[in-house]
Amino acid sequence: MEFIAILLSVVLVNNLVFQGFLGICPFLGVSRKVDMAFGMGCAVTFVITMAGAITWIIMHLILHPIAGNMFGDKLALNFLQYVAFIMVIASMVQLVEMYLKKFFPPLYTSLGVFLPLITTNCAILGACLYIYMKPETQSFLNALTYAFGGGIGFMIAIVIMAGIREHLLFSDVPKPFRGAGITLLVAGILALAFTGFTGIGK
Amino acid sequence: MAAETGNLEQFKTGILDNNPVLVQLLGMCPALAVTNSVENALVMGGAATFVVVMSNLITSLLRNLIKPHVRILIFTLTIATFVTIADLFLKAYLFKVSQAIGAFIPLIIVNCMIICRAEVVAIKNGVGKSLADAFGIGIGFTLSLLTLGIIREILGSGTFLNYQVLPKTVWDTHAWIIMILPPGAFLTLGVVVGVVNYMRERGKVGA
Amino acid sequence: MKKFIDESWLVLTMGIAFAALLAGAQTTWQGKIRENQAKALNLAVAEVVPAMDAEQERETLDIDGNTVFKCRAADGSLAGWAVQASGGGFIDKINVVVGISPDGSEIIGVKVVSHLETPGLGNKIERVEGNPFPYQFDGKSTATPFALTKQTPATDSEIQAITGATYSSQYTMDIVNDVLTRIVPQLPKE
Repeated sequence: MEFIAILLSVVLVNNLVFQGFLGICPFLGVSRKVDMAFGMGCAVTFVITMAGAITWIIMHLILHPIAGNMFGDKLALNFLQYVAFIMVIASMVQLVEMYLKKFFPPLYTSLGVFLPLITTNCAILGACLYIYMKPETQSFLNALTYAFGGGIGFMIAIVIMAGIREHLLFSDVPKPFRGAGITLLVAGILALAFTGFTGIGK
Repeated sequence: MAAETGNLEQFKTGILDNNPVLVQLLGMCPALAVTNSVENALVMGGAATFVVVMSNLITSLLRNLIKPHVRILIFTLTIATFVTIADLFLKAYLFKVSQAIGAFIPLIIVNCMIICRAEVVAIKNGVGKSLADAFGIGIGFTLSLLTLGIIREILGSGTFLNYQVLPKTVWDTHAWIIMILPPGAFLTLGVVVGVVNYMRERGKVGA
Repeated sequence: MKKFIDESWLVLTMGIAFAALLAGAQTTWQGKIRENQAKALNLAVAEVVPAMDAEQERETLDIDGNTVFKCRAADGSLAGWAVQASGGGFIDKINVVVGISPDGSEIIGVKVVSHLETPGLGNKIERVEGNPFPYQFDGKSTATPFALTKQTPATDSEIQAITGATYSSQYTMDIVNDVLTRIVPQLPKE
């Protein structure tokens, strides 16, 4: 039951893109076509889940015990948190990149420059930091659920957006608003719709 | 971007033609997340400027030593370090503000604007030009955050830097709550980007 | 091996240099950061137990994992208890200090020390002038947990939610209720 609550909360109610403003750059950049958006969503979900698990291990099983033994204060080494997290994420992305290049070359080429940029997808770092801050995700399985849900939430957001943008191609948008302007306005309306989910899971 | 542009040009282009948020659409996450008040926008802009300056400085100093395929790793390492320093500094000297936007400071690490400047400018250019570029981009970023912050704070809370500017009685009952909520951020940024595009188009035709 | 060193020496050197830099920054500013946090906490405690005298020694207890301060008035009598508590908020934890009367029967005040709720909405849980929400707890009995309502409260155990920020209100109230049901019965008798 707890898992379902965490999953619903992070996928719908506190969606990382619409409520947390995380991962906006790929959300706007890779949402032109549905299949590309889906591929991006899968890659991000994978990286976010792995990074969530590894950063949990780093904080709870490495930094806290070492700091506790050396300084008597388990939070003493927390200043290394950001550097450690971003290094984990960067290596995970490298892994995904090599995997896609070998087994899914078409997807690899179509994602192009956006693939290494998953490193700078703030949804991933954001989710890892939130997992560390939130009281309900202190156990390993809850943390894993939250990370996975964060990825799914991102995927849902970017696929919906891509679906709408495929149709936007055929509409007559005022010239200055073409491209980013109209995309942001659509995102605003989508965010408004997601606000309607507030209330689920409580 | 021509290689022979001067430092002043490089500085100005970051503020206007290459404005990271409004034109290049980089660094959007903080632009949306912390701009519900002017104060938050200012501090976020300042912190990001510090980080982009330091990261451009280090990258440009080490540009001849960095191997191409480890460069992303080195960029993120540098950025993460200076973000941590900025974070500690805010906690030590601007405790109140750091409590308000503390969770967004680490996200400067993944602000693609900063890594983009390292990749596009700092790794190919000398220290002077890289610094000029960093200051330009930083100020351009701060200004766009400020624009969004002003619009959203005035419309959403009826205040400017926490001073009531719109009649409080009206705003207590009829506030545009939506402006401080996430959807308001997207809508405001969408409109501002549209307006900026319109003005740039007109500028080009006029000239 | 040589290739490996060739490729990675810069990353390794930079890693070590930056770690040293960070450790330096941390040790330089740590005292100041701790001081800030302690100051914020002291101010909060003084606000929720106003009868407390800063000169008197303050005893710190640990009840069921929560830090509880036993605050004394100027004449040495018990002025009240300040219970530190926290719970999940919209984004980050909400940290609260709850002031309880000496006999444990009444809430003196509720103060949010730190939170990351939405500015303009959720931040109305802060105990500052113009935000009626946190003051609703003052003087209420600790016997019954509170319930949230969107109308004007009909009974003493109802708390009116902040318009547009029902969740932030709920989260804050949950923390207070947790203190009432879990900590207050365990307060030592004087």
